[in-house]
Amino acid sequence: MSGNRPLPAILSRRHFLSGTTGGLGAVALAWLMRADQARSQSATLAGSALTPLFAPKAKRVIQVFCCGGVSHLDTFDHKPELDRLHGKSMEGKGENLGFFGQPGKLMRSVYPFRQHGQSGTWVSSLFPHLAKCADDLCFIHSMFAKSNNHTPATFQMNSGFTLNGFPSMGAWLSYGLGTENENLPAFVVLPDPRGLPAGGSINWTSGFLPANHQGVPFRTQSAEAIADLRPPDGIPGTAREAELRMLAEVNRDFAQAHPGDSAFTARLRSYELAARMQTSIPEATGFEGESEAIRRLYGIDEPGNKGFARNCLMARRLLERGVRFVQIFNGGSFGSPRINWDGHENLKENHDTQAATMDQPVAALIQDLKQRGMLEDTLFLWSTEFGRSPATQGIDSPGRDHHPTAFTCFMAGAGIRPGVHYGASDEIGYFVAENKVTVPDYHATVLHLLGIDHERLTFYHNGVQRRLTDVHGEAIRDILA
Amino acid sequence: MKRTPSRSSWLALLSVAALMTAGALAADTVDSVPPSDRKIIERAQKQWAFQPIDRSIAPPPTDPGSDSPAAHPIDRFLRSVLRAKGLSPSPPAAPRDQIRRLYFSLIGLPPSPEATEAFVQDPSEERYGRMVDRLLNQPQYGERWARHWLDLARYTESTGFEYDRLRDNAWPYRDYVIRSFNRDKPYDRFMREQIAGDVLEPVTRDGILGSSLLVCGAYDQAGNSQANLTQRAITREEELEDLISVVGQTFLGLTLNCARCHDHKFDPITLTDYYRIKSVFEGIQHGERPVETPAETKARETQIAALKRDIEAAEDQSRRLYQRGWSLANALSHPTLRPAGPAPLVRWSFDHPSLSALEGTLEGGAFLRDGQLQLPSPGAYFQSPLLARDLREKTLEAWVSLSDLQQRGGAAISIESADGTKFDAIVFGEQQPRKWTAGSTGLERTRNLDGPEETALPGTRIHLAAVYHADNSIALYRNGEPYGKPYTPAKPLATFHAGDTRVVLGLRHHGGGSPWLTGSIHQAAVHDRALSAEEVAASFRAAGLAIPESEVLAALTPTQRAEFAAALDRAQKAREQLANLSKPKSIAYAGRRTQPPPTQRLKRGDVKAPDGVVTPGALSALTETLGDLDLPADASEADRRIRFARWLTDPRHPLPARVIVNRVWHHHFGQGLVSTPSDFGAGGTPPTHPELLDWLAARFMADGWSLKALHRLIVTSAAFRQSSDFQAAAAAIDADNQWLWRFQPRRLEAETLRDAMLFVSGRLNPQVGGPSFRPFTTTDFNATFYHPFDKDEPEFNRRTVYRMNVNSGKDPMLDAFDCPDPSIKTPRRATTTTPLQALGLMNGSFTLRQAKLLADRAAAPDPNDPATGVRHAYRLALGRSPSPDELARAVSAVRERGLSSVCWVLLNSTEFLYVR
Repeated sequence: MSGNRPLPAILSRRHFLSGTTGGLGAVALAWLMRADQARSQSATLAGSALTPLFAPKAKRVIQVFCCGGVSHLDTFDHKPELDRLHGKSMEGKGENLGFFGQPGKLMRSVYPFRQHGQSGTWVSSLFPHLAKCADDLCFIHSMFAKSNNHTPATFQMNSGFTLNGFPSMGAWLSYGLGTENENLPAFVVLPDPRGLPAGGSINWTSGFLPANHQGVPFRTQSAEAIADLRPPDGIPGTAREAELRMLAEVNRDFAQAHPGDSAFTARLRSYELAARMQTSIPEATGFEGESEAIRRLYGIDEPGNKGFARNCLMARRLLERGVRFVQIFNGGSFGSPRINWDGHENLKENHDTQAATMDQPVAALIQDLKQRGMLEDTLFLWSTEFGRSPATQGIDSPGRDHHPTAFTCFMAGAGIRPGVHYGASDEIGYFVAENKVTVPDYHATVLHLLGIDHERLTFYHNGVQRRLTDVHGEAIRDILA
Repeated sequence: MKRTPSRSSWLALLSVAALMTAGALAADTVDSVPPSDRKIIERAQKQWAFQPIDRSIAPPPTDPGSDSPAAHPIDRFLRSVLRAKGLSPSPPAAPRDQIRRLYFSLIGLPPSPEATEAFVQDPSEERYGRMVDRLLNQPQYGERWARHWLDLARYTESTGFEYDRLRDNAWPYRDYVIRSFNRDKPYDRFMREQIAGDVLEPVTRDGILGSSLLVCGAYDQAGNSQANLTQRAITREEELEDLISVVGQTFLGLTLNCARCHDHKFDPITLTDYYRIKSVFEGIQHGERPVETPAETKARETQIAALKRDIEAAEDQSRRLYQRGWSLANALSHPTLRPAGPAPLVRWSFDHPSLSALEGTLEGGAFLRDGQLQLPSPGAYFQSPLLARDLREKTLEAWVSLSDLQQRGGAAISIESADGTKFDAIVFGEQQPRKWTAGSTGLERTRNLDGPEETALPGTRIHLAAVYHADNSIALYRNGEPYGKPYTPAKPLATFHAGDTRVVLGLRHHGGGSPWLTGSIHQAAVHDRALSAEEVAASFRAAGLAIPESEVLAALTPTQRAEFAAALDRAQKAREQLANLSKPKSIAYAGRRTQPPPTQRLKRGDVKAPDGVVTPGALSALTETLGDLDLPADASEADRRIRFARWLTDPRHPLPARVIVNRVWHHHFGQGLVSTPSDFGAGGTPPTHPELLDWLAARFMADGWSLKALHRLIVTSAAFRQSSDFQAAAAAIDADNQWLWRFQPRRLEAETLRDAMLFVSGRLNPQVGGPSFRPFTTTDFNATFYHPFDKDEPEFNRRTVYRMNVNSGKDPMLDAFDCPDPSIKTPRRATTTTPLQALGLMNGSFTLRQAKLLADRAAAPDPNDPATGVRHAYRLALGRSPSPDELARAVSAVRERGLSSVCWVLLNSTEFLYVR
């Protein structure tokens, strides 16, 4: 679909809807309309731009984003050659790609690797829980980032661009697909309890898309997941009900006195939805009815994961209730002490700490989705902004610098071939050796699984029909089931 | 040769423009396009926006059959089109709607009940006209229209990207825009100032501030300081693209940025054009600069030089005297000890119970005890005044006790630039635990050293020295012995400039991640030369012996003591004067200027594929009309922008006047004549009323580029004053109302909504200009994080245009109401209606408070008279009295729940949120 062109495209839809007026409220109405129609499925939607171009495999997406740059070499990209070359100088790789300069000698993985599952997937000892899921996962070992700098690289993974101000993938999905449950936001973000990622809300902005598509960050450690969800103390429930009744009458009178302007009706509707969110959000974010076994599976009550396990379980509950895109951040911003995967000083020390928060809850989330049959139509994404260098950062240091030209991500679930390894890095994990996957390729694949042709999901902004994938990208056919 | 098509033929082009698709105009391959390339000119001839503005157009005659002849020229244009479409304009709106509409359009605030009633009593042309003039002369006019402009300028008050740090001195540009609008600065001058105001003679403060436009967007600080040169070059190219696109979109309505990697797909803009324009702006760098004219700078610099000489002389004298006294006192009290070590430029010893301003200040919980500077916990440090001498070659020394050996990254002593972005320091445990390094900006001059891990127990005094030699080598010493091997970093020594440099103890540098050292400092010193190994050893052996100042002075003769005191006094006074002078009176984020090397065109925009030098230039498609900039590749940075500014504001230029009149139209009517206000190219939409657009543009220039005259012209038209009532028959012909058969109702923008609530509650603080209010707290964790709060204090009750406009600290309510991300150039805001908006208005503390205040303001003194309060609240919020039914409903609500509940309903009502 394409948006924001002032003329014909919107016109016909608007006519179709209510024969109503231009300009004002059009977007609002489109938003409400999408919610309606997603609910009643295809019938009324025939021929609309919202009809998926191909049968979608996935209905919703969950992404675990690991901030700071997870080392591919110490987790999923097994490089025996590094054992052999350990302590030697790195030769023939051209300009140093690191952020800080001064690379030292090559360093073997700080963890032993072992093969897991029927797929024989190599996983290091860092992730014992995820290793058990290996046969459900599809690894891409040939990811390629444009920037070696955290925030531009994170922005690129989230929005396709390394700059501020471009809509995030979740916003594009909300824009393209709307929501399955109008009583919850279409795009929910669950930040790490230890802190927001660098760039904060820029990471889930709707950019130049209308504001209703931006990610809604939930305050997962707070009693109230979003601000202003409830009336403040001191306004009795009965009084608030009476107020709302009066407001509805006032607004209905106004809409009736000024017929033809759909936005006036949309405003009435927005208060009804708000009222429903007041119950649907606490219901979704509370854990009542979750069994003890589930709490144990995720490790909810274990302090080692620093609250992150709660977010994983909350994500599943939100997905169950029709949220289109849930993004969970593992790790926060940059600084000391480290609260993300940015293992510059001592890779092992750093990754040990981070894995203790991430491994079990994420593995639990995958298992839980699977046992509920939700992995059938839920796309699971695990990603990071870049990998880490095969050489140490600085002489004799046990740390690794940033590394953008080869790293690993994995996907699972709807439409994805399980137990597959796609692409490869070279002998020391420095460059992509085969089947390079750029960020636009990655995004094109996600959109494809949701039934969207990435070249047709566009929005006009300042002279350009913008896309999540800019002018690049091709879905990775070989990993599709 | 005749190049200008006649009017009829360029109007005919519009349909061509509308039909053009991406495939129709594939990009040409151009390796070396001369500026007057034929193909490009031909392409330009096919596009309406590149045709000269037709100044011969006159409004069509009034329709003789019409019963209400439209004398207003705008209406004559509009009505001839309406007639042709089988439509007719709506009757005038009710006076109440007219005045509310006019107030919101011009000043972004609702009218007072008194103003409304006066106009309802006498809705004459004369009164309306006087009201227009009065509103245009209110400062709120500039505030309202500056917000529109700041949307275009991608104006932000934080850096964005990873760090998103506050940009304290961005606001002068915001005030510049407000002031320019309020003074009705001719728009051509407004444009010139924003391109080259800092270099166009005569340079004025406004000119300097105007040029902030070039840098007031986001800035990738991390990307610009990283080690990888290719990535750094890419970061810079992105930065320039942002700059070029803001210039192209804002003034020209063209997406110049689309030609960075290939010729523009739709418009006559070549890859070469892009790099020639890039050359115009290549000298612009992000950063702050003084806001002072060259004459002011020169006068200040002369004074500074004189003061520095005075300080140096006075300090030399006092140091000589003190050194003499110290040697004498040392000999007296410690006759067996070795002679004194080398005399430093500055020494701090903490054996006085108090510090003089001359020495420095204790910060963040630092205190003096036991003759030592105590740094009990992170946050505590000591800060010297600014040094009055340039330093490059130097030695830093400190005698320090660490409170524990686990601590990481603090510094015993650091010399840093005043903004903390440049420093050299003696740092503990930053890269490697328990080891000392010579820390530096971005680790540029730092190396891990093969020295021993620190073992000194807490309370044990250690002497450290870092010596920076003129040959760029650096040596570290611990207790007088070399610590690791001396080394020469790739980066040369930094120069620390007089008046911009201070010394801090216990802090690595301002703005770093975890820069604190905990423990205590006995003494510290800075030498303005590199000490030899022997001198460092002597210093270690000799100093650290604190001799009280009284003993030192006692060793001098009375005359010497008096001279010493006088010299100190002289230096102190001069230093105070220097501190006042060394900072210019005002600083703004207006960018720095550098002279760039000749600009290379880049193949496919790839920084690794330079493809020949280009000269600074403008659009080749307009060369025949406007000429070239005629500059060599090595033209001065200033000349480039001066010529470009002249080119841009040439009255023959087809674009800028059309673009701005369309923007003003867009904000008055909710939709421009061109509905893509920042894209007048073939990718945008053609004008609905091309003749009106040209007539307005020509008239605007003839009126001296006066925006106020343009506003007056537009808001006095019948089209602006017509009813907004919906008509099904008209909507069937023109659902989008593009022919303006009615006034289009529209929702208040986020800022206007907030301002209007404050206005009707009586809480709006009308203070104009100055630093932004910051309704958030911040935390720093390498990056800055923002935590919004809502407070009822006068500074936070100012208009929203004065809110500190940071990237990641957006206000949830403004955000929900479509307030754009500051880093995005936003010519046209979206209007959404969402449940999150409803929640914010229903439950947010701001709305609830304004409802209560409105109730307090509206309530009658007699508690048994709810009707008066309701009537007053309606008039304040909606500009009208309630109907009998409404009154009855509200009065019963007041009896049940109080007037503030009714006010809450009014502030949540669609009628309040919409302008009709």
